Amino acid sequence: MFFLKEEIKVIALHPSYFGPNMRDYLITRLNEEEEGRCTGDHFVICVMDMVDIGEGRVLPGSGQAEYTIKYRAIIWKPFRGETVDAIVTSVKPTGIFTLAGPLSVFIARKNIPSDIKWEPNTVPPQYTDHADQVIEKGTSLRLKILGVKPDVAAINAIGTIKEDFLGPL
Amino acid sequence: MSRNLIDQDFGSEEEDDDFNPAPAEDSDNEDVKATHRRRDEDDDDDDDADVHTGRTARHRAGSEDDVRGRGHADDDDEEDDNDDEDGEDEEEGDEDEDQDEDEDEDDDVNPRRPAKRRRRGGVLSFVDTEAGVDEDEDEAEDEEDEMEFGGEMHPDDMDTLPVGVETDDRRHRQLDRQRELAASMDAEKQAQMLKERYGRNRAAATDAVVVPKRLLLPSVDDPSIWGVRCKAGKEREVVFSIQKRIEERPPGSRNPVKIMSAFERGGAMAGYIYVEARRQADVMEALQDMTNVYPRTKMILVPVREMPDLLRVQKSEELMPGGWVRIKRGKYQGDLAQIEEVETNGLAVTVRLVPRLDYGLNEDIGAPAVDPKRKRPGMNPAVARPPQRAFSEAEAKKKHAKYLSATSGLGGKSWSYLGETYVEGFLIKDMKVQHLITKNVNPRLEEVTMFARGSEDGTSNLDLASLAETLKNQTAEDSYLPGDPVEVFRGEQQGLIGRTTSTRGDIVTLLVTEGELAGQSIEAPVKSLRKRFREGDHVKVIGGSRYVDELGMVVQVKDDTVTLLSDMSMQEITVFSKDLRLSAETGVDGKLGMFDVHDLVQLDAATVACIVKVDRESLRVLDQNGSIRTILPTHVTNKITPRRDAVATDRNGAEIRLGDTVREVYGEQRNGVILHIYRSFLFLHNKAQAENSGIVVVRTTNVVTVSAKGGRATGPDLTKMNPALMRNGAPGGMMGPPQRSFGRDRLIGKTVQVRKGPYKGLVGIVKDSSDLQARVELHTKNKLVTIDKELLVVKDPITGQTIDMSRGGRGGGRIPNGASSAPQSAWQGGRTPMGMADSSRTPAWGGAASARTPAWGGVSSSRTPAWKQDGSRTSNPYDGSRTAYGGGGGFGSRTPAWNAGARTPYGGSGNSDFDAFAAGSRTPAWGGAGSGGRTPAWGASASNGNKGYDAPTPGGNYSAPTPGAYGSAPTPGASAPTPGGWADSAPTPGAFNAPTPGGPSKRGGYDAPTPAAFDGAGAHSRPYDAPTPAGAAATPGAGYDGDDGGPRYEEGTPSP
Repeated sequence: MFFLKEEIKVIALHPSYFGPNMRDYLITRLNEEEEGRCTGDHFVICVMDMVDIGEGRVLPGSGQAEYTIKYRAIIWKPFRGETVDAIVTSVKPTGIFTLAGPLSVFIARKNIPSDIKWEPNTVPPQYTDHADQVIEKGTSLRLKILGVKPDVAAINAIGTIKEDFLGPL
Repeated sequence: MSRNLIDQDFGSEEEDDDFNPAPAEDSDNEDVKATHRRRDEDDDDDDDADVHTGRTARHRAGSEDDVRGRGHADDDDEEDDNDDEDGEDEEEGDEDEDQDEDEDEDDDVNPRRPAKRRRRGGVLSFVDTEAGVDEDEDEAEDEEDEMEFGGEMHPDDMDTLPVGVETDDRRHRQLDRQRELAASMDAEKQAQMLKERYGRNRAAATDAVVVPKRLLLPSVDDPSIWGVRCKAGKEREVVFSIQKRIEERPPGSRNPVKIMSAFERGGAMAGYIYVEARRQADVMEALQDMTNVYPRTKMILVPVREMPDLLRVQKSEELMPGGWVRIKRGKYQGDLAQIEEVETNGLAVTVRLVPRLDYGLNEDIGAPAVDPKRKRPGMNPAVARPPQRAFSEAEAKKKHAKYLSATSGLGGKSWSYLGETYVEGFLIKDMKVQHLITKNVNPRLEEVTMFARGSEDGTSNLDLASLAETLKNQTAEDSYLPGDPVEVFRGEQQGLIGRTTSTRGDIVTLLVTEGELAGQSIEAPVKSLRKRFREGDHVKVIGGSRYVDELGMVVQVKDDTVTLLSDMSMQEITVFSKDLRLSAETGVDGKLGMFDVHDLVQLDAATVACIVKVDRESLRVLDQNGSIRTILPTHVTNKITPRRDAVATDRNGAEIRLGDTVREVYGEQRNGVILHIYRSFLFLHNKAQAENSGIVVVRTTNVVTVSAKGGRATGPDLTKMNPALMRNGAPGGMMGPPQRSFGRDRLIGKTVQVRKGPYKGLVGIVKDSSDLQARVELHTKNKLVTIDKELLVVKDPITGQTIDMSRGGRGGGRIPNGASSAPQSAWQGGRTPMGMADSSRTPAWGGAASARTPAWGGVSSSRTPAWKQDGSRTSNPYDGSRTAYGGGGGFGSRTPAWNAGARTPYGGSGNSDFDAFAAGSRTPAWGGAGSGGRTPAWGASASNGNKGYDAPTPGGNYSAPTPGAYGSAPTPGASAPTPGGWADSAPTPGAFNAPTPGGPSKRGGYDAPTPAAFDGAGAHSRPYDAPTPAGAAATPGAGYDGDDGGPRYEEGTPSP
């Protein structure tokens, strides 16, 4: 699910950056560092705007200036039960690896409808029900997230297509 | 007469029987009977002589006396009963226990006496009944007596009236009434009455079912139990002979055995039997002359309180066919067995085992016949016992055909082999319970699967449910920890869902979280609980299978079994929910000592490997050559702790670090996240790959960066572009390569002041110097001391001002001789101008093409190191500190940088003009360098024209951009000190490119390490390892003819 979230980031700036372009630099840096970041809980999709770039405070000892930037960002936090569209990145006998945006979702064999079978002999290998459903690398899938496992800087999820309205699009 | 008596007795007995005495009619009835009798007697009297009468009277009196006496006797009896029921019980001795019990119950319900009465049945009742004819009878007799007496007293009356008329009449009327009454009662009531009267035994038994248990406990009134010594092991035999003796001398016989019961306690009390009797003498008598039992020795009287314990049955493990046990000893020790059949006595069971047979294949044919003195062959089962395998008649036939015979029974064909029976491949064996382990059997899934009888279609019909049941019975309480989500799946509270709050023994307290009872705390036995998981839960296997410690996410939950997807192997694992716990751990668990999956370990000097799997005792590793091996932890030389800042360069020269995502260029184009960098090898982790836990090993030159960790720009690093930061950020900047080789150390002869240490503040003159240290002649003490150069500050001997040696670093020696000239200021002390892999980064020589690039001589731009135009002399500072040397493997990162300018002075002697570095291109264009495009080339003009230096570029041709490629040393510095004078085509100045320069000024690492190639004559190009500072002075124009990689000065190598 997407959220607009207000967050705070502290950036320490070397004195050599002090100058007229400092603000730009801060913004660039914020964008660079934040966008696409995964906290283990959510993904930062896009930094919308800066709410407030505070006054820089010079850190005693190093001479660097510390800016506390408040910004708003669109974040995506995947939830259990959320239905997402994903692209298949690879198919293996054990299941299907997909990517729903930044989130990698694994669909275990158990969570694939039983009529969709592993077909290793095709090129590329695929899961297919020998009818109109073919799942191979690059296929778009609609899946439901079953579980989300947060990691330090990543999120892993497992999903299912063993329900109505799920599966290849 | 006797018939009458008997009748009468019956009646009275019946009366007595009922707790509530029967209505008075009975006695009336008796009276009537008595009257009849009297009349008869009277008749007799009439008929017979006086003698007769006398006899009769006598007889009657006798009989009455008799009766009365009996009555008294009975009274006595009853009194006895009240005191203790001796007589009674003796008589009951023969009754079987059940009845006894029932009657005890009766006793408890009803007042004692009547119950006792009632007990007498069958023949005995006759005997007893007489005694039972008590008061009523007496009364009747009394009445009769009275009447008789009266009759005698009033002979007149008797004369006037027919004999016994009035009584007769009354009795008749009574009888009539009674009959009428009986007739008026409906059949049902009558039946019930009859039943009450005669059907007492059964009725009593059924009536008194519900009796509080405590009332059944023995009291002091009950017979005592004596423990009698007997021969150990013969207990049962003795009991049987007692039984036999009782059969021979039943109660009621002439010499009855007066004991109530006898039993033994088996193993716990071997050597004793227990006999229940009223008196010790009875026991003695009963056991007299019996073998194996010693009643003469001291008998133990069991205290009343302990009596129940004697009969308390140790609730033995209930063995059910289909259950699992383990074998205690023998060849099958520890093996799992399934119970086929349990004998009714519960002492022997038939089990099914997976045979361990070698079919005689391991028999030593030449061995002498079994020496009876030797150990029995089965005695060392642990040694080489055959593996568990289904019985195969084919194999048995090979060598042991003579021992094999087939029998076909009801259940199908079975084989008899070496005296054992095999059915369907399993060994069927009768075993005693004591040879089985019945508790905590904990069958593992894989063991159990061996017992799964394959069905025709090849699928096993293993009954998981029953297995689960077995397992559940052994659920250790610790498998439920507070906080576990559980579900009650049977019992009254079925369906409740909650979380455990505590466990005590087999009772788990749970807090209901859902439903109407939410918030309440209830208790439930472990057996009725199962853990509850949802799909997607991250769980850990805590026991019960070989998947212990595996972590994974639940993909399917079906009753008691949970399928999870292992984090490590991406395999699906099915285990019982009781073996799972929710896992808070996010990482991959599975450690073997200090080793963890994905660790990098050193196997030998030349081999490192990444752990892909940790087994119980071994590690599976993927070594740098891509081969998988299984090793023991002891084979690991040491564990290589990952260095956060390890850096390498990819195929394109871009810096890659741990955590970056790279892709193979050739081959399978696998991609993955860098886990480890080791020299030129990368260990990648690819989530989508199941094999080897997703670990792949690749060479750095075979990968391109897909994305850098944390969005680190693969392009120029703004931070590093900031020259100011560079200065601070280049820790290596101060460190220089040894300069000895470059001729006289500039420091020598300088006046210096000591910054630190014991000589702090003292001033002196440097007399001599080595790489790191200088001999300083102190002004004060006039003595020579050796001091680290680091600690010296050069002072102006006259003014005492500190001379800025920044460019050259503090060590004067670093400053190239020729460097004294101006340009140095532009160098910012050694930030190397670098050629970046990226054209944009590369400062162009003179070519100021890109904005950032400082121009040559462009003093104006602070960032750029300027190159002094005069060319020849200029020193090329290489600030290699940051340079990633791919070759350095993990260590590369630290490559010492050349410090500022100092190192490489190169003077292309002779050719004064290089205008530009061939800036920018990644591949330095090397004019026709044979070596190939990547080599950074000097843009060499064959003559001495301008050369483009492309310095920093990593050379494509060199497999490793690393300097290591050239030389032994991984260090950039290795080849370093190439003097740049080239003999070949004279004009060319040395190439520098030093190994480079990773000047902090550039972000993104410098791939630079590339040596510059030098295109001398066009024909032979020489890569020079740039880092080389060419000692301009020292080796100006030194030409190297050799085609080899150029001279290296090993000693010049900066140490990493």
